[in-house]
Amino acid sequence: MITWTEDQRSLRESVEGLADVLSDGHVEDDQRGAFPRAKWDRVAATGLLGLPVDAEHGGLGQDVLTTMHVLEGLGHASRDGGLSFSVSTHLASTATPLNRFGSDELKRRYLPRVAAGELIGAHAISEPSAGSDAMAMRTTAVRDGDHFVLNGSKAFVSNGPVADLVVVYARTGPAGTAAGTTAFLVPRDTPGLGFGGPIAKMGLKTSPLCELFLDDVRVPADHVLGRVGSGFLVLDYVMKREILYSFVINVGEMQRRLEQVVDYAKNRAQFGSTIGRFQSVQNLVVDMKVGTETARLWLYHTAQKLQSNKDTTIDVAISKLVASEAAVASAMNAVQVFGGYGYMAEYGLEKDLRNAVAGTIYSGTTQIQQGRIAAMLGL
Amino acid sequence: MSAPEIKRFVVEQFADDVTVDDLADDFDLLDNGVVDSLGLLRLIAWLGDRYSIPVDDVDIEPDDFRTVDAMTAFVARHRAVPAAG
Ligand SMILES: Cc1cc2nc3c(=O)[nH]c(=O)nc-3n(C[C@H](O)[C@H](O)[C@H](O)COP(=O)(O)OP(=O)(O)OC[C@H]3O[C@@H](n4cnc5c(N)ncnc54)[C@H](O)[C@@H]3O)c2cc1C
Repeated sequence: MITWTEDQRSLRESVEGLADVLSDGHVEDDQRGAFPRAKWDRVAATGLLGLPVDAEHGGLGQDVLTTMHVLEGLGHASRDGGLSFSVSTHLASTATPLNRFGSDELKRRYLPRVAAGELIGAHAISEPSAGSDAMAMRTTAVRDGDHFVLNGSKAFVSNGPVADLVVVYARTGPAGTAAGTTAFLVPRDTPGLGFGGPIAKMGLKTSPLCELFLDDVRVPADHVLGRVGSGFLVLDYVMKREILYSFVINVGEMQRRLEQVVDYAKNRAQFGSTIGRFQSVQNLVVDMKVGTETARLWLYHTAQKLQSNKDTTIDVAISKLVASEAAVASAMNAVQVFGGYGYMAEYGLEKDLRNAVAGTIYSGTTQIQQGRIAAMLGL
Repeated sequence: MSAPEIKRFVVEQFADDVTVDDLADDFDLLDNGVVDSLGLLRLIAWLGDRYSIPVDDVDIEPDDFRTVDAMTAFVARHRAVPAAG
């Protein structure tokens, strides 16, 4: 059990206070599938986008646990799951590696505006033929004087359509090797960098996603994050935080859904009794409670271990598995408890289910996490 | 004292078809595919745990884990740093 300090609680309260603003029109926004920039700016104004960024670069200099506590509040407050996903993508993809691996000059130039949410970040790892096997990527970066020249294409770039900065992972060494990739910070207006149109998808519709094309894109060598050849290590650092940040948001969402479902089950009557008195309905709600608490425990346990410099390879994989699957089950059960109303777009619960399905795919699929756990067991 | 221990771990985890004596200190584990990308993460995690190195906070690059020699040097470098520094 973590006891949060007054400061941590008040950071969270500033986000919880935006519940009405962020949730306003969430069903319509989902149907339109447009990125809600005005809401993004409201989130940015709380300082949330600078939480894990060092204070000297305009952030709030908070640790992973505090950042998570506030993000859980975002998930709890906002019914716009796409917006929240864009927030965690921005934090993990760009703020995190820039803050940890950027040169002083690079941080001075970009980090304050990233922390303030004026510049939106994205990252491009997956390719049409290299998804789970990211190290098989084909995008190359070849040194040319004090630049690197990038060529290739990337699939599925979350925030891509609205991003000002993209962290692009490219091959600088032999394919498939652990020392063969490098991470580059690439500003949107770099010549040769092309963005596809927003791609329609099942859920998270307010978080726009697109393809990225790199045609002789010249990136200054000082825009490398970390060292040349250490892109895989940068990615591992990023992925651990991406999983903790995005799934703790889901925990907040699950908590809110649980409250909503309990309330509904206590008030909706059928057969002369509230539906909450039926044991099979209770079981749906109880499973939601167990899933929420289990996911929360795993995520914070892993974060505590991470902060004390312990090996978290297996914990991160378990957390991701548990939280993503619990989120799908929670959304599914909520639809069931609400019956016909759960299935109608108007209540936003079918949207939650569509959103939750993505969590079993991004940041390493369920099967990839299972593979990692098996490998750590020596299988 | 870290070299024999590191070697034993590498052989046990990644190359149980060779003996500890067969593995040269300067054998390139990455280029020869003995250690793949997930293996690299396991190696780093194990070294961090075993020798109390805060691997998320120190500067690391794959070259530090290419050979048993490089890993021994990595451990020596970061263990030499006082806890406060
Ligand atoms: C909403 C959303 C947002 C995303 N945002 C980004 C982003 O911002 N940047 C980015 O780079 N990418 C992003 N992605 C891409 C995501 O990371 C990939 O979709 C994911 O890594 C899986 O790759 P793939 O789609 O190519 O599937 P594949 O790797 O082709 O997998 C297909 C199926 O095979 C299984 N499989 C594959 N390999 C194995 C294995 N070794 N063992 C067992 N099963 C296996 C998978 O589990 C899956 O079921 C996003 C995806 C989604 C859905």
